[in-house]
Amino acid sequence: MTPTETAARGRAQQTADRPPLPVKLVIAGGFGVGKTTTVGSISEIAPLTTEAAITEVAAGVDDLSHTPRKTTTTVAMDFGCITIDPTLKLYLFGTPGQERFGFMWDDLVEGALGGLVIVDTRRLDDCYAAVDYFEHKQIPFVVAVNAFDGKVEHDLDQVRWALDVADQVPLVTFDARRRGSVRDALLAVLELALERAEG
Amino acid sequence: MTAGDTQADGDAVSGLAADPVGRAPAVRPFLVTAGRVASTRAGTPMPLETQVVSTAAGIVGMERLAFERRDIVALCRQPQSLAEVAARLRLHLNVVRVLAEDLESTGDLSVYVPRSEAANDLSILRRVIDGLRTIPDFRETTP
Repeated sequence: MTPTETAARGRAQQTADRPPLPVKLVIAGGFGVGKTTTVGSISEIAPLTTEAAITEVAAGVDDLSHTPRKTTTTVAMDFGCITIDPTLKLYLFGTPGQERFGFMWDDLVEGALGGLVIVDTRRLDDCYAAVDYFEHKQIPFVVAVNAFDGKVEHDLDQVRWALDVADQVPLVTFDARRRGSVRDALLAVLELALERAEG
Repeated sequence: MTAGDTQADGDAVSGLAADPVGRAPAVRPFLVTAGRVASTRAGTPMPLETQVVSTAAGIVGMERLAFERRDIVALCRQPQSLAEVAARLRLHLNVVRVLAEDLESTGDLSVYVPRSEAANDLSILRRVIDGLRTIPDFRETTP
């Protein structure tokens, strides 16, 4: 790999301006928790949807002693982007809206700067899969409680207790519909990633 | 087929139902790649955010390309990610991965695979943080 930030491969001649370096954050959480709303609140393009393949582990994720049988499922994934400057572009990828355990988002998450796990306090169970996933992959993540209708039904200590997330995992509240609120939630993820990268 | 397979198939169908993406295309997705699936040339598939841009030769010679390949070269006059290409052309992401590699090998498209170390690069993280901080609370209501 060259020392430049991206490397043109093959013998194709470069013509247009050099594309920006793309980086990404992953927006995770259960179905209907506000992932696409979150992306849409801050993305410079209307959220796009693409079909991607994810691997579904047929066996329970708690059954690690067995080799799980894997199947590939095609799912819809929403995403958006923010141009940081002409040479750097941040993509926001929403994980497919699955409530069930056992999905692997490796294809999506590989190389991500961090993750935002959105929680609806009325359905805490829906986010366990995402929390477990990021913990397992050692990807910096923040749990963000989406304050539907401007209120959170439980205080953050109760949410932390219920989710059983480690103390070092930041827990924030935000409003997926508000641009400034989404910005601050993403900043919490990036600041955690920076802290971790600094060692 | 075992009972387990049937179960998995059922789950796949319900998963799709939960995430409708419009009508299925009349052409089966991987027909356009002659049945090839995403490349494993480098061990892992190209990331979704990989940037692709058409070459001058690709744009000049676009008329000799057919269907999806031509659409990709036309769309990628502006650099964009594999994910955007897939979404805008309504192609499966893995189909785009295969076609992008084809077009790269014929000199029609430049492919820029991001460095995976970016996630631990302090200067990149700081630039993203500084950039995000400049985003105002509300969108400007410019036409």
